[in-house]
Amino acid sequence: MTSDRRVPRAARRAVPPGLLATPALAWLALFFVAPVGLVFWYSLGRKPGLYQTHANDVLTLDRYREALGDTFLTSFSGTLRIGVTGTALCLAIGLPFAYWLAVKVRPHRRFVVLALVLVPFWTNFLIRTIGWQVVLSPEGFASRAMQSLGLIDAPFSMLFTRGAVLLGVVYNYLPMMILPLYVALDRIDGSLREASNDLGANRWRTALQVTLPLARPGIAAGLLLVFIPLMGDYVTAAVLGGARGNMVGQLVASQFQQAQNWALGSAMAVVLIVVIALTILATAAAGAVCTWLLTHRRRRELAGIAEGSAA
Amino acid sequence: MNHHDHTPRLLAPAARVAGLPRRTFLAGLAAAAGAPLLAACGGSSGSGGSGAAAQLRAYSWSAYDDPKVLAEFTAKHGPKVIVDSYSSNEEMIAKLAAAKGTSGYDIVIPTGVFVPQMAANGLLQELDHGKLPNLANLDKAFQNQEWDEGNKYTVTKYWGTTGFVYDTGVVKRDLKTWDDFFDAAQKEASGKTSLVDDPGEICAMLCFARGWHQSTTDKAQLDQIETFLVDTLAPHIAAFDSSPGSSAIPQGTHVLMHCWNGDARRGILASSEQDRWKWVLPGPKTNLWMDNWAIVKGSANADAAHELINYVLDPAVAIKQVDFVGYGSGVTGSEEEARKLKLGLIDMIFPSAEQVATMYTGVINEGQERRMAIVNKMKAKAGA
Amino acid sequence: MSSSPTRNAVASGRRADAGDGKGSVELRSVSKSFGGVTVVKDLDLSVNPGEFLSLLGPSGCGKTTTLRMLAGFEQPDSGEVLISGAAVQHLPPHKRDVNTVFQSYALFPHMTVAANIAYGLRQRRGIDRAEIRSRVAEALDMVQMTRFADRKPNRLSGGQQQRVALARALVNRPGVLLLDEPLAALDRKLREDMQVELKLLQSRLGTTFVFVTHDQEEALSMSDRVAVMLDGRIEQIADPYTVYERPATAFVAGFIGQQNFFDGTVADAGRAIEIDGGTVLPAEPVTIHGSGAAAVRVAVRPEAVTVAEAAPAGPDGSANALPGAVAAVSLLGDVLQYVVHADAGHELLARVPRRQAGRLAEGARVWCSWAPSDVHVFPAEVTPRAPIGSAK
Ligand SMILES: Nc1ncnc2c1ncn2[C@@H]1O[C@H](COP(=O)(O)OP(=O)(O)O)[C@@H](O)[C@H]1O
Ligand SMILES: [Mg+2]
Repeated sequence: MTSDRRVPRAARRAVPPGLLATPALAWLALFFVAPVGLVFWYSLGRKPGLYQTHANDVLTLDRYREALGDTFLTSFSGTLRIGVTGTALCLAIGLPFAYWLAVKVRPHRRFVVLALVLVPFWTNFLIRTIGWQVVLSPEGFASRAMQSLGLIDAPFSMLFTRGAVLLGVVYNYLPMMILPLYVALDRIDGSLREASNDLGANRWRTALQVTLPLARPGIAAGLLLVFIPLMGDYVTAAVLGGARGNMVGQLVASQFQQAQNWALGSAMAVVLIVVIALTILATAAAGAVCTWLLTHRRRRELAGIAEGSAA
Repeated sequence: MNHHDHTPRLLAPAARVAGLPRRTFLAGLAAAAGAPLLAACGGSSGSGGSGAAAQLRAYSWSAYDDPKVLAEFTAKHGPKVIVDSYSSNEEMIAKLAAAKGTSGYDIVIPTGVFVPQMAANGLLQELDHGKLPNLANLDKAFQNQEWDEGNKYTVTKYWGTTGFVYDTGVVKRDLKTWDDFFDAAQKEASGKTSLVDDPGEICAMLCFARGWHQSTTDKAQLDQIETFLVDTLAPHIAAFDSSPGSSAIPQGTHVLMHCWNGDARRGILASSEQDRWKWVLPGPKTNLWMDNWAIVKGSANADAAHELINYVLDPAVAIKQVDFVGYGSGVTGSEEEARKLKLGLIDMIFPSAEQVATMYTGVINEGQERRMAIVNKMKAKAGA
Repeated sequence: MSSSPTRNAVASGRRADAGDGKGSVELRSVSKSFGGVTVVKDLDLSVNPGEFLSLLGPSGCGKTTTLRMLAGFEQPDSGEVLISGAAVQHLPPHKRDVNTVFQSYALFPHMTVAANIAYGLRQRRGIDRAEIRSRVAEALDMVQMTRFADRKPNRLSGGQQQRVALARALVNRPGVLLLDEPLAALDRKLREDMQVELKLLQSRLGTTFVFVTHDQEEALSMSDRVAVMLDGRIEQIADPYTVYERPATAFVAGFIGQQNFFDGTVADAGRAIEIDGGTVLPAEPVTIHGSGAAAVRVAVRPEAVTVAEAAPAGPDGSANALPGAVAAVSLLGDVLQYVVHADAGHELLARVPRRQAGRLAEGARVWCSWAPSDVHVFPAEVTPRAPIGSAK
């Protein structure tokens, strides 16, 4: 190989392609492919007895049949509802906020605001969620404050409602949405917005036609960073939603921790991974189709100008 | 150091915070959050004493020991006690079995019915009664249990039972039985009822009410349990909470709460209106369980582990533990001692003899998986 | 498709509205400060429809700020802004009859060249799709970028992006086009070509151009009038010839082209200047207010200086003549540039056509001389910030 004279010297000295990616690939193999592979392998097995967790002596798809029962589907649809609503809420709150931060706040203050956004992350995830439980309970701060202000006359409880779940979800995941959005919006040159304004577009049209399309990678990153962990998180929902916060992740965890049925737990985990991936793909596809439909007419109206000149 | 420091609910007013619960699915997570605190209090007092082992690692239900007791043990005998917590016996067994003697834990606290299985699988080390002179303090009633004849592997640490607590401001009638519980849950307490997050306990409720064995494997009975829980009870349940005592009772979150006696006592003691809550040991039957000290097979610090077990069998130490968790210990005379010290809500720790007569222990059997599936289905229904 | 009819169409679209004040710009005592620092001070400026006006000045003098107040990106603290006769200081950019060519071009990276150009038209009501298409095609043709219609901006060179930015602004047929150093990012050769092209385009379209630059050659070669700015004020506004030949202030004199400066005092009833070393420089009669011996600063262009080995003859041989030695010679294309150390201590810069005289060697003894009419006299109290090109 090295004796091949036709290979330019620089090319021979250069790092072989792929070498730079090796650590990343090794990481991926070790911490993603291997565990998922193992889970998949377990999912084809069974729970042989009361005191054993799994066995692969017989390979079967029966666990998938069990996994896809009523319980799983009901839990999953509830989880999907919380996942989608929570992600949408994070986007609805995070987008204007990130825009304000990237565009309106003076550069030297942005750091301070970003630090404030991240303050909740300095505390343990569970502690800050349970903190909300304290705030939202009938004897809690929110209820007392509203009573002393005369807004309500009996203790109220927001705890263990869907609203509490969404509140906790937004609280815990909003920074994951804001950060990528902020980075994406901050990277958009301010003169592009000025150019749009100068060309006759008001603020809203500028946002829709220039800022949002350019922030798309950030929006996608934010959606994924919130949606994926949220679909697997059952703590936030259980702490604040109680029975109303039943998440499919809890079902999977209970198979591993309580039922000690790793085969069924693995099958549920695999189904969950597949369904989450399909949801993301479907959303991405729907987004692409919408964009295409929205811009299609405009592209047609300008198509062929270049060819016209060649003729 | 106060036991307040062990709760993850740092935002709560200190006066209203009790210890962590025995069983909660959050326990593992809470342990992660609280581990530095536990480690810190374990090591708070010097390292004097015999000092064979620098530290003891216990794998236990969370907040199951008075940190003051552990600190005093360290001061007297040397080893620091580091506690990790689990939230189910299954979780603990899985961890020990997977480690095959290399878990690094010296002490575990299995519930009685799990002991034979653990012993048979070589997870536990036989106790050296010569190193446990205080074993003489253990009440006869708690020795020689059917799951550990001759106390070969275990010494009873706590015993407890299951019942419920209700808000007398909302439920204005006397609830006495499991059927009363079901009735209130569907009426006054609908949407304000919580159940312990434990499949065995949840399924056992109907068994106690109907007079079936609480660990039934009878298919027809299990089907009835499923229908009742999923179709009748689930829509009225607000939460699956193994420790209403740690926040739901002090904060008045629910009206009707299925719970263990120690947890209920802790919650009522922490409440600003103790009279508002009523604890019921429901008839006709209810549960009895024992959690036990055991030494892990392969422990490198077996001597120190014996030392700790022996230490807490001292009646003066045992009573501090009892006051901290609210469960009875097996040490002779601890009830009399507790009455002498006038511990709060003492009847919740020590039920009367007639009440104890209505309690019995469950078993581990092949109905487990079905009970798990029933409860998961119930949760899905309650969340829908 | 031939190009000239479409270019005319763009041009006529613009000219049709001319004459009703469309395209005029007026700033009336406009001031603007940032954080307590006044950047534009009480500025008055009036631009006629169809005029090519340059704002010229050193970096930081407030040119961009002035332009941004015209575009609507900045609000003046006080004063009035009129565009095409209407007061617009309270209107947002999208409601003003101006378009801007940004220094960074600011092309939308997610749109093709054609879509970039169509952007402004699409924001308006009442322009149908066929018209958008034909106007985009015209605009592309006007800047000779038709071939690149379907490309994304990041696949164009700097010069091509510049043309697209121009087309994107002009396709809207604004009354006034604002350009902020549009050529600064181009290399020299391309910049010079674009200067010519831009000027031709402007005169063909008749659109008012307000053109910001810090490059005096660029300003002089392209503009109908040049406004020279310093510290947020206009020092002089005039046609390029006047700015060059009759600078109003010592700063303008120094900023435009190069100068030999002398500091001195007025003597001989205003007909001569005494500079340090006792040399007397006769000048055209000066009107300097104040006492008889007012301090002044005198400027003489290098190209007005004659360099000769012999002392100049004439009625007054020593008038405007300094003896010295050649310190350096350099060839600047058609011109020879001498640096002469005068015996009186001054350093003089002289530029003579290459063919006019034989080349003098370094160290040669010479006389530098110039006509009284080439002497510009300014009050001395104006101390310009190190004007570029002043010979010291
Ligand atoms: N948005 C702003 N905030 C603060 N200072 C500014 C701002 N814009 C311009 N300046 C300051 O105003 C002065 C003039 O700037 P500018 O108009 O850009 O000058 P020019 O375009 O002539 O180089 C500079 O000192 C600049 O730092
Ligand atoms: Mg500028």
